[in-house]
Amino acid sequence: MTAVLAIALKDLRQRLRDRSAWVIVFLAPLLITGLMSLAFSGSATFHAKLAVVDLDHGAAAAGLLDTLRSPQLAGTVTVHPYPDGAAAAEALRHGTQQAAIVVPAGFTAALTGGAPEPVTVLDSVDYPLQARVADAVSGSYVAQVNADRLSVATALAAGSVPQDLPRLAAKASALQLPEQVRADGLPGTALKAVSYFAPSMGMFFVLFTVGFAARGYFAEQRQGTLDRIAAAPVGRGALLLGKSLSTFAYSLAGLATTLVAARFVFGADYADPLGVAALCVAMAVAVVCLTALVIAVARTERQAEQLSSVVVFVLVLLGGNFVFASAGPPILRRLALFTPNGWALRGFTDLGTGVHGLTAVGPPLLGIAACSGAAAAATVLLVRRRRTP
Amino acid sequence: MNTAATGVLAVTRATVRRILRDRGALFFMVLLPVAIIVVIGVTVRGFDQFRVGIVATADTGPVSHDLVTALTHDPALRTHQYPDESAARTALRRSELDAVVVVPAGLDRPGAGPGTVTVPVLVAPAATNGQAAVAAVGSTVNAHAGRLQAARFAATETGGATDSLLGLAAGTQSTTPTVDITHRTVNGQSSYLPLGYSYSTPTMLVLFVFINAVSAGAVIVQNRRSGVYGRALAAPIGAGTLVVGEATAYLALALGQSALIVGIGGLAFGVSWGSPGAAMALVTVWALVGTGAGLLAGALFRTPEQVHSVGPALGITLGMLGGCMWPLALVPGWLRAAGHVVPQSWAVDSWTQLLSHHGGLTDILGNLAVLSAYAAGLLLLATLVLRRRLTADSA
Repeated sequence: MTAVLAIALKDLRQRLRDRSAWVIVFLAPLLITGLMSLAFSGSATFHAKLAVVDLDHGAAAAGLLDTLRSPQLAGTVTVHPYPDGAAAAEALRHGTQQAAIVVPAGFTAALTGGAPEPVTVLDSVDYPLQARVADAVSGSYVAQVNADRLSVATALAAGSVPQDLPRLAAKASALQLPEQVRADGLPGTALKAVSYFAPSMGMFFVLFTVGFAARGYFAEQRQGTLDRIAAAPVGRGALLLGKSLSTFAYSLAGLATTLVAARFVFGADYADPLGVAALCVAMAVAVVCLTALVIAVARTERQAEQLSSVVVFVLVLLGGNFVFASAGPPILRRLALFTPNGWALRGFTDLGTGVHGLTAVGPPLLGIAACSGAAAAATVLLVRRRRTP
Repeated sequence: MNTAATGVLAVTRATVRRILRDRGALFFMVLLPVAIIVVIGVTVRGFDQFRVGIVATADTGPVSHDLVTALTHDPALRTHQYPDESAARTALRRSELDAVVVVPAGLDRPGAGPGTVTVPVLVAPAATNGQAAVAAVGSTVNAHAGRLQAARFAATETGGATDSLLGLAAGTQSTTPTVDITHRTVNGQSSYLPLGYSYSTPTMLVLFVFINAVSAGAVIVQNRRSGVYGRALAAPIGAGTLVVGEATAYLALALGQSALIVGIGGLAFGVSWGSPGAAMALVTVWALVGTGAGLLAGALFRTPEQVHSVGPALGITLGMLGGCMWPLALVPGWLRAAGHVVPQSWAVDSWTQLLSHHGGLTDILGNLAVLSAYAAGLLLLATLVLRRRLTADSA
């Protein structure tokens, strides 16, 4: 045990003397997490700045304005009145407003007449969702009027006689839309961008440890250090255990540093600190297994460096470290579950949305363990095959 | 050809050959950028639609089926159906959706008469797009409710069956004068690159040409450490020839990588690169910026490992600041201004001008001037430091 610790401490001391390792595992993830936290600090909430042009000045236009200013839309929509369409369009061109609703003159009177004037939604190409909101609110407002008109037209088409039109119109105007939407808030916590990207970047850079450790192994082999240690009464098992322990400790320290800083400096939010710790430990074990696999496959220091780079980038690409996996297509989310980091990110996402305990981290821990187990099994098979003459 | 030019070409050939022989370098130059272009390209799209989950039991009747069809065909919504509410709630919590529509069982109850059925729309807590998505869903539900109201009204008046009159109501809807909503785009010039591959390909070109050039600085460091330059300087070539030779090699590699990304982007991903002359000028100036950064890395770092470790981290950080990972139009104003300290932002702005505003060379001349200043500054600094290092190493 003393030998294992001595080897691990020796490796750790060597690693910590390397300033580039500090940059990669400790400084870079903190810097990038901070940058992401700042970049997305203002984009956590959706808001639509809508210009409204009321050329009607009637009850119908007032009703539409009331809908836009209703408590349900208060947090989503800000309404600014403009005197005419040209002024509203200019505001859109300058980015002061994101979409505009123009209520035409005579709108109120035309609602009960034969040829109603259309409401116009002005949009800007950079704010498609805001235009959708303007469209949806306007559409919802005129929905009852349109439904009443359609009811009469359908009744006529179904066989009612045209002479009945006044009676049908009067009867239809008393109807109420048979379906209505009701928004229900889901309990829990909203996922903050930093709660996702902090572990994402932490894992990305900690995975570079695979390269450091694998290169270090071959460098020591080249320098004869491994042979000298093996010649001492410590055994090959103790040597491998010591090296694994140092890789594990280093990876865990890197991840823990990023997550502690994310929590206390950048405001990341997780429901269960123990769950966070469990995911970090599992990922550190995965890094050890991946390192062992790279060492087993590679034959030279250069090969180890190249292979580890390929492994790291394939894992982070599939695992969702470069993009917000939830925003991607379902196929990307499924592919992520073939990687330990993809599973860990799913766990951090659940912890970041208020899910506690094993419900949040149980499946991710099993997923990471399966990936680590597969890497370890492949390593053992490769080592055995090489030893077989 | 004079001796200096021959020397420069010899150094260039040797460096290019050495880097191209490295299969790992080829992975970073070609495969990795293309893979990232694909991943980001398929992720950064569909931002003009709300992502809506629909929960409807399998044995829904015609009214529910009609509502699900209306939601599925609404161009404002990108829908996905879930067999049960629990799975949809999990997807909503993980931000995979903006809202979930739970189609109520009562919608198809026999002989439904007057009264309103509530259609619950679930939104995430403090949802970013939640209420806006509810408004969009509400618009579709209202249109559907209008048809249902019309079918029921006609059924009451004529004695037919509501279910069979739903189709008639849908057909009548297109010919009935209604209060329409018309649309007019008044600002068609985007501040962002087009979404999808047209976003990811130019930004990854900017990101990876820089990262690869900086990482290639490891070759210069290795040459310095192993004494290759010392031996070369013993021959009748000067430090200047070595520096120019290395710079030419780095420029050739950066241009080669850019050409590959531009070609793959155009042929495989359908990216339109805008005005060819302007695009070529931008690619060339950006390759010069990368060359300067790569030479500087080779001059400043002490070990190849330092370059491999710090290079990607530095490149990614500058890329993030400069708008390679997300549009700078999204970030707070002060961060956008800070982003313009790094050259990447000027390159991404130029691509936005070419791809989104369909601008030409004259539209990006200002940006090219700034980028040229960065390139000149980096090349000058790198040359001075590298010459000093080479002279000191060989002394």
